[in-house]
Amino acid sequence: MKEEDDRTLVRRCRDGDRAAFEQLVLRYQKAVFNAAVRLLRDPEDARDVAQTTFLKAFEHLADYDPSFKFYSWIYRIAVNQALNTLASRRPVGEMSGEEADEAPGPDQRVEGEQMGREIEEALMEIKPELRTVIVLRHFMHLSYHDMADVLELPEKTVKSRLYSARQLLRDHLLQHGAL
Amino acid sequence: MADPGQLELIHAEIDGELNAQQRAELARHLLADPDVRAVREDLRRLCTALDALEQIEPPDDLRLNILAALPKTYRPRRAFPARFWRYAAVIAVMLVGGAVLVETLRGPETAPRDVAGTMAAAHAPAILDTVRLGNGPVSGRVTLYRDGAALGLEFELVTSAPVDVLVASDGHTLRVNGLGRKDKSAAPRTTVALSGVAMGEQEVDLTFLMGGRPVGSATLRATGPR
Repeated sequence: MKEEDDRTLVRRCRDGDRAAFEQLVLRYQKAVFNAAVRLLRDPEDARDVAQTTFLKAFEHLADYDPSFKFYSWIYRIAVNQALNTLASRRPVGEMSGEEADEAPGPDQRVEGEQMGREIEEALMEIKPELRTVIVLRHFMHLSYHDMADVLELPEKTVKSRLYSARQLLRDHLLQHGAL
Repeated sequence: MADPGQLELIHAEIDGELNAQQRAELARHLLADPDVRAVREDLRRLCTALDALEQIEPPDDLRLNILAALPKTYRPRRAFPARFWRYAAVIAVMLVGGAVLVETLRGPETAPRDVAGTMAAAHAPAILDTVRLGNGPVSGRVTLYRDGAALGLEFELVTSAPVDVLVASDGHTLRVNGLGRKDKSAAPRTTVALSGVAMGEQEVDLTFLMGGRPVGSATLRATGPR
């Protein structure tokens, strides 16, 4: 039902109805902004990514194929835009899964909100392609199939990346006493 | 420690992707191995925490900034769709593949061979008569031939000066100017078609002129091929 609405809005946009595009912005700005924040961990960069994502979508509406889900298309633009922004930053150390931090003592164990902060820290230490699948799965709640659509990858590759990303996050949290 | 197969089952269970058979298999592993249970518990807690991370509200002005930055009017910038390039690539591959297939079926190109002997033309002229000239200002050879339905003359003349030839046959007259060359070893061959001269048992009279004056004559007869 929602997909039909999206397609209708896109058709109206193509016919020159700017109000229809505003509806699409309202519908997806939060998801796009959150994905960008989780990938970049910088609200200002995320705001730029979100703005650029919608501008690009507007300019390339003619390229959108209505046989696919609109949100897969716009999330793909957002993810690519965020990854481009990341690539333009200075490289930072990434967690390979083999690096051992200092083992925490029992007093360092954290719960609740602290676990959330640890997860955010850990997310920024894994490779962007692994972080992306975590964002799509756990923050945007996409199925394997939709993730594969967004990333233009086989589902098997998407699953493999997702499992690897979770393993790395688990290892990180265990090392920091957060699990 | 859980092995890769067990880990895959745990992840799939968390994502709600297990079928009944896989669920039963995972249950057996969980019952049999406390390490598998521990890993499963860790991953479930991790995923619950990931799902529980707060959504952040976008800045209030994000929507307004986006709308303000849009072009005034929508002008579609239609690129060729991805499907177009896929079709183009398939056609290109088919063309190249077809060319390779044709070349493969044809086999290697045969190298040109030297031809020994004389290559006969498809319509080799038939010689009807030949006259040799000598001991005068004009020497050499003239040949009357038939080429298909027409008659012709071939001159190989050696002369001290250019010679003109009057050709008369069957009521027709033809003048050929500037024949001959001094070098005997390279007498040029000149062929002249006798247009309008009917095929038959006729004679062809030649008069050689040098400086406008007759210096010799010859007659050829179209009596049949030799």
